[in-house]
Amino acid sequence: MSLILDFAPPLVFAALGGVLSERAGVVNIGLEGMMRFGAFAAAAGAIFSGSPWVGVACGALAGAAAAGVHALLSLRFRADQVVSGIALNLVALGLVTYLLQAVFGSAGVSPPSPALSRDRFGHSALTYAALAVPVLFHLWLAHTPAGLRVRAIGEHPRAAATLGIRVLPLRALCVAGSGVLAGIGGATLSVGIVGQFDARMPAGQGFMALAAMVFGKWTPLGAAAAAFFFAAADALQRQLSFSLRAADLRLEGIFLALPYALTLLVLASGVGRTRAPAADGVPYEPEGR
Amino acid sequence: MPELRARLFSPARDTLWGAFAALILALLISFVAIAASGRDAATGFADLLSGAFGGPGPLGETAIKSAVLVLTGLSVTVAFTVGLFNIGAEGQLIWGALAAAVIGQRALPGAMALSLLGAAVAGAGWGLLAGWLKVRRGVHEVISTILLNWIAIHLVHGWLVAGPLAAAGSGAMVSIAGTEPVSASAWLPRLFAGSRLDLGFPLALAVAAAVWFLLTRTVRGFEWRAVGAGRDAARASGIPSSRCICEGMALSGALAGMAGALLILGTEHKYPGVFRTGYGFDGIAVALVGGGTALGTTAAAVVFGALRAGATRLQLVGVHPSFAELTQGLAVLLVAAPRIFQPLLARLRGRPSAAASAPPVPTVQP
Repeated sequence: MSLILDFAPPLVFAALGGVLSERAGVVNIGLEGMMRFGAFAAAAGAIFSGSPWVGVACGALAGAAAAGVHALLSLRFRADQVVSGIALNLVALGLVTYLLQAVFGSAGVSPPSPALSRDRFGHSALTYAALAVPVLFHLWLAHTPAGLRVRAIGEHPRAAATLGIRVLPLRALCVAGSGVLAGIGGATLSVGIVGQFDARMPAGQGFMALAAMVFGKWTPLGAAAAAFFFAAADALQRQLSFSLRAADLRLEGIFLALPYALTLLVLASGVGRTRAPAADGVPYEPEGR
Repeated sequence: MPELRARLFSPARDTLWGAFAALILALLISFVAIAASGRDAATGFADLLSGAFGGPGPLGETAIKSAVLVLTGLSVTVAFTVGLFNIGAEGQLIWGALAAAVIGQRALPGAMALSLLGAAVAGAGWGLLAGWLKVRRGVHEVISTILLNWIAIHLVHGWLVAGPLAAAGSGAMVSIAGTEPVSASAWLPRLFAGSRLDLGFPLALAVAAAVWFLLTRTVRGFEWRAVGAGRDAARASGIPSSRCICEGMALSGALAGMAGALLILGTEHKYPGVFRTGYGFDGIAVALVGGGTALGTTAAAVVFGALRAGATRLQLVGVHPSFAELTQGLAVLLVAAPRIFQPLLARLRGRPSAAASAPPVPTVQP
């Protein structure tokens, strides 16, 4: 149980980032790259300032900056949103390794960073935030005028525009917000859990978050629940590899593959068939240009 | 010479010039980054070139890396042709590599050809799965191939290569030794002394030519392109679009699988315990910069192959080889947004640009 609460927050934040961007109509495959920038910036910020919270803020900013590139390319220059996201992941892969080497002189790991303080249950404040933020996000998206506007530009931007909503700026804002969330997710990995940056981070968590978003039918609560489910599967697998004898460790791969296979099965079985926001991934051209 | 200029920079060539400009700009930005970090960028650039082209040894390294990238790039390009974004070349490559390693262990007659064939079949199976999920179960291929990648990585690396297929006598703990070595009769023969250049590069070029012919000169290729351009329109004119998508994904997987075989039969000579390739993901970059055509993809693969080979030399001036990934990512970022270069191209064309042409990158159908 404790392990679940440890593993879930990065996935939860990143999955919520995916929900925010895609409900506004912008596909975000770049979550992985945004998490990577966030994780690195958080570790660097924490090391240089001495405060993990400054690190988390740096992580959020770095995520937002990376998301800004995605927004610029896909909204201003009308790049294919999937391609732009993939490009962001590729840049993150190279640039962060390069920065890690340039700043800390090692291409493997950063020096230990100040870690977030933990309460007597061993959880940091971000863990509790990962429980609260999905609920707040749900209330905001479902019950406020701002949330309605976001949903409107993701379902029918033209109609939203006729009601006076400025589609592209709002979409850009949502993509940036998505980057903030993914960046915090990355920061949770580096200064929250591990206490340093590892060149392999986030090791596919961003893609996993994407799967959680689809699994959770593009809703904040669903995505968070899916993230917790994935974290539970991960925790279970670790428990098993603790209790199994060394010889059985060879089966580890099967347990590791299970959550992914399960997600694929659920998607393929069409149980509660999912539907992406209607205008998800469709570039919006303002009229009269 | 306004006619020549207009023809040279005609809108039909926008993709080519866009990719070219993106590559140059990406290299420029990368070297500015190197110079900004206080290192000798000029020497670095010379090292990069000599590491990629300076003599038979470096040329061989460039060819080896290019060959794999040609195949993974073509894999992504073929999927583009039928309108699918195959993120799963990495997983397909892994199954292909494993099949090549397993078949290659047995000293069968024609071991090399059999291993390559087995790798193609294994990759095709994994690719077909994504195609089937798309047309029968409505699972978006971007999501399914991402998941299939992780399933392949964990099953092969965490289980098969560590357990059932591990080399005998590699200890009780999780094996990092990999599988039994491939029999020498299945190795790709080296072509010249003093270079690791093997049969893989000519093979990859031949495959690229075959794919080009298939896509542009056959009925099947026309049908695939029609499906990629508009599935409903293709179906309305009697083209079996579901079948085309499955066929395209199978070929896409087969190409990635063969890329895995090149790695195993050419350089690794067994399935290693630690096998981080990234070639599958790089294939996406190659295909995007290559503009989604077989010829462009091949050219882009050679450029990125040279970049990868040359980047290892950059360590001499203290630059990490991840430099290649950085440049590659930047190039894709710049190619992703063709409109960035529209003003430049319009000026080169020497007359006011017509309405912005359609983006050259194949768009993904929702």
